[in-house]
Formats: sequence, C-alpha cells, structure tokens
Amino acid sequence: MAAPLELSCWGGGWGLPSVHSESLVVMAYAKFSGAPLKVNVIDNTWRGSRGDVPILTTEDNIVSQPAKILNFLRKQKYNADYELSARQGADTLAYIALLEEKLLPAVLHTFWVENDNYFTVTKPWFASRIPFPLSLILPGRMSKGALNRILLTRGEPPLYHLQEVEAQIYRDAKECLNLLSHRLGTSQFFFGDMPSTLDAYVFGFLAPLYKVRFPKVQLQEHLKQLSNLCRFCDDILNSYFRHSLGAFSCVNRNQQQTDFGEASLLLDKKRSMPICRNSPSL
Amino acid sequence: MGKSYPQTIAAEPWPENATLYQQLKGEQILLSDNAASLAVQAFLQMCNLPIKVVCRANAEYMSPSGKVPFIHVGNQVVSELGPIVQFVKAKGHSLSDGLDEVQKAEMKAYMELVNNMLLTAELYLQWCDEATVGEITHARYGSPYPWPLNHILAYQKQWEVRRKMKAIGWGKKTLDQVLEDVDQCCQALSQRLGTQPYFFNKQPTELDALVFGHLYTILTTQLTSDELSEKVKNYSNLLAFCRRIEQHYFEDRGKGSSSIRLS
Repeated sequence: MAAPLELSCWGGGWGLPSVHSESLVVMAYAKFSGAPLKVNVIDNTWRGSRGDVPILTTEDNIVSQPAKILNFLRKQKYNADYELSARQGADTLAYIALLEEKLLPAVLHTFWVENDNYFTVTKPWFASRIPFPLSLILPGRMSKGALNRILLTRGEPPLYHLQEVEAQIYRDAKECLNLLSHRLGTSQFFFGDMPSTLDAYVFGFLAPLYKVRFPKVQLQEHLKQLSNLCRFCDDILNSYFRHSLGAFSCVNRNQQQTDFGEASLLLDKKRSMPICRNSPSL
Repeated sequence: MGKSYPQTIAAEPWPENATLYQQLKGEQILLSDNAASLAVQAFLQMCNLPIKVVCRANAEYMSPSGKVPFIHVGNQVVSELGPIVQFVKAKGHSLSDGLDEVQKAEMKAYMELVNNMLLTAELYLQWCDEATVGEITHARYGSPYPWPLNHILAYQKQWEVRRKMKAIGWGKKTLDQVLEDVDQCCQALSQRLGTQPYFFNKQPTELDALVFGHLYTILTTQLTSDELSEKVKNYSNLLAFCRRIEQHYFEDRGKGSSSIRLS
C-alpha cells in the first residue's frame, strides 16, 4: 500500500468540494487518476502557512503548486493522461496557458477585486477559516496580490485606468470561455470519454465561477449561456464528487446564514429541489 | 476581442512606405524584443505586405504601448503582434480565415503557450539571470544613453521585470527550472507540428510567424551559454521549420538573414 497522500486545501461551499481554483484542480485530478487522497480542509485551527495552499504531504515530501503536485502524482503512477497521444499532450499545455493568460485575470477580479463580491462573499468566507488575528490581515493580502497580478500582467499602456483594464480582461475572459465551448463541443470531456489533466484545470477554473453566488455576476452570466461548459462542470460534480459533498455540507451549512443560505440546501437535496437562481441583475 | 477599426481604415490600401520600428540591431536590441520584431516581420511577409524596418534607439518610447515592435501605416501606429494582426485583418488580409472555430481556438491557445513559456523564459534569462544581466543585458539596454542614465534605466527596467516575474510565480524559479519549461514548450510545439510544413498544414498563420520569431532568435543569438539554443536544437522538425520560413519568406525575397550576434 502506498504511503498515504494528504492534501491540505481550502474547503467547499455552494455545491463544490472546494471554492479555491487551485485546490479544485488538484482534487479533480486525483479523482480522475485514482490517486487515494486524504483531504484535509483548512479551518481556523490549521497551523500551517496558507500562502502555498494546496499542499500535498506524503511521508517524505511536501509539494505545493498544482503543476508540481500533478507532476508528483504522475511520478507515483497516478496518471490521468495515459491514454492521450503526444499531440493531445501538447494541446493540454497550450490550453492551460490560454486559461492562465486569458481567463485567470477575470476570475481573480471576480473573486478578489470586485468590491461587492469581495466584501460580501469572498472575504467573510476566507476570514472564517483563518484564526484571529490573521483573519484580519490575510484576506486583504490575498486581495492585494490578485490586484497586483492583474495590473502587472495586463495593466500596461495604453490602458491606464483600472476600468479600462477591467473591461479588457472581461472581454478576454468571455472570448476564452467561447473558445473553450467551441473546443468542447458535444463531447463529454476534452479528449474523448476519459477525463484528463486539461479537464481538471478547466473544471478547477470554471466550477467556482459557475457555482459561487456573487452580487456582481457578469462573467458568471456569460458562462451560464454556454450550456456545454455548465453541463461539463455538473457532470464532473455528479460523477466524481457526489459522495464527498455530504461531508463538506455539514461544515458549511452553519456558516451560510446570509442571503445565500438557500444555496447550502442544494448540497443535500440537489436532485429533488429545483435550483433557485436569484442572482441580482446588474 | 480588441479594437474594431472604422471603415476608413479598411478602405485605404496598404501603402508602400509602411514602416516597422525596433531598437538598434547591432548594439541595443535584446533577445525578447528581437523575437517580437521578427515575428511581426514574418507575419507581414506571409501576408505579402511590404514593410521597411527602421532602427531607432528610442523605439520603446515611441511605441503607443511601450512595447516593440510597432508599425506606422498611413496615419495609424499599432504595436505588438496581436493588435497588428487585428489591424491587418481590418485592411482585408488574414492568414487564419480558412480555419474553423476549433482550429482558431487551438491557434490562440498555442500562441498563449509561446507567450506564457517562451517569452517569459526569455525575459527571465535577460533580466533575472545574474550572469546574463551583468555581461549582456545592462550594457545593451543602456548603450544609447550617457552615464548615469544608462545604469538608471537598466536598473529600472530590471526592477519592473522582476516584479512581474514575482507576481506570476516565476520569482523563485531557478535557471534550470526555466530551461526545463523551455524544453517542455519546445516539445509541445514539436509534437503539434509533427511532419507538417506549418502548424495548420499547408498555409502559415500568425502562430507560425510567432513561433518562428522566437525560435529563430533563440537559435541565432549568442548568449553567455548555449543552453537555451541547445533546448531548441533537440527538435529537428523545429529546426527544419525555422529554415523553411527563413528561406521562403526572407532569403527568397532578397532580405537576407536577420540573425544578430550579441557579443
């Protein structure tokens, strides 16, 4: 029996096993490749550094960053890309680059920079999982890091105002979503019938955007119009994460005493209750 | 995505005096800027649009986005490959019109891969590797300016690039890891190209121009060590690809080789 693999990552909500993209990528890959991961959800009793999350711990190794964790799992023979051709492997790298360049800035903005979203959803969620007094500092630092990244990579002249940068990154993100939708077409996964690394990355980036209930939702609305991408996320959630959702809902239900409370009811009663989409329009 | 141009732009034909501006070839231009400039030149050659290359020490400051190269066509000034492709398309020339939606998605994804890995690796090597910075970059970047401006500008640029590297998670990478990334990128490009003449078989697209710009520059630029060009040389179909484009679009048209040597 292989040494136990433990993944420390941010927890879930709104029907997701994790609301953090990078953690979700690793969890999805582990499910696809059959890696037996023991998932430790970070709460405010966790003593480690939160900057590097998700973190994979084994007997002799500590690995952080999704790309390195996936590499490590592949070396341990948990390879979800076994069936892919060389060309499909190359396509995987290219599409991941597309996600990071074109989609990630807008996702970061939606979660961490857009004021309404950050103060009503993101900050309270993360602060409740960080011990005092770090809970006062860390979310702010993560938000500044996100804004920094956006401005340094996309905020170059001739875009001088934050609004112009915002407009451009959302345009790029919508185009990226359209490209992904075209590429997926009617297939179940990006490369045939079995999910691979690319499916893990796309799921990790899209699922939080799709499911988390935000006040300001322009990118989410665009995503919901691309029904094959929504179906893609729902399929993965239903096929690979159905059993583990029960564990996450117990932790989160008490904390969601806000207007978004109805969303937590979805976790257990997903199949019997219709989903109420009350996202306020802009 | 990107700007949409008014009808007046589309109506004007491509002028004979269209110019491309870049830094001074022999003493000033750096690896990443040369790659970008060569990519644009290759793209315009592939579209059969004449362009004259002019070298100016202050090209970076003349550019509307601060990046080189930029082209001056009629009364429009456009910089960087992406916007230039859009501009040329507004004038009725396009290399990727024949592709279907899935192929266009693939082309854009591979262009991002080149920007994400190759361009970032070039920037890392130029500005974050102490040996290269000390021996080559500082001297070249500051060469048109008198002391102390040459040092100040070089340090300022270095600080800017390092800040960006840190923001995207490349700050802690070692040179070996960066070279590994270059190898991975070249492997992906090589696998995608296969035995075809161009990435989308018979006709070159802007992706071919971009890949050519970067690979050719890496192969022909002399740095403190050969490690970077060795990574590319491992893939024979990429070498053949560069040779093919050089012969077909540069030598055949009497332009001569665009190689530069950094001493």
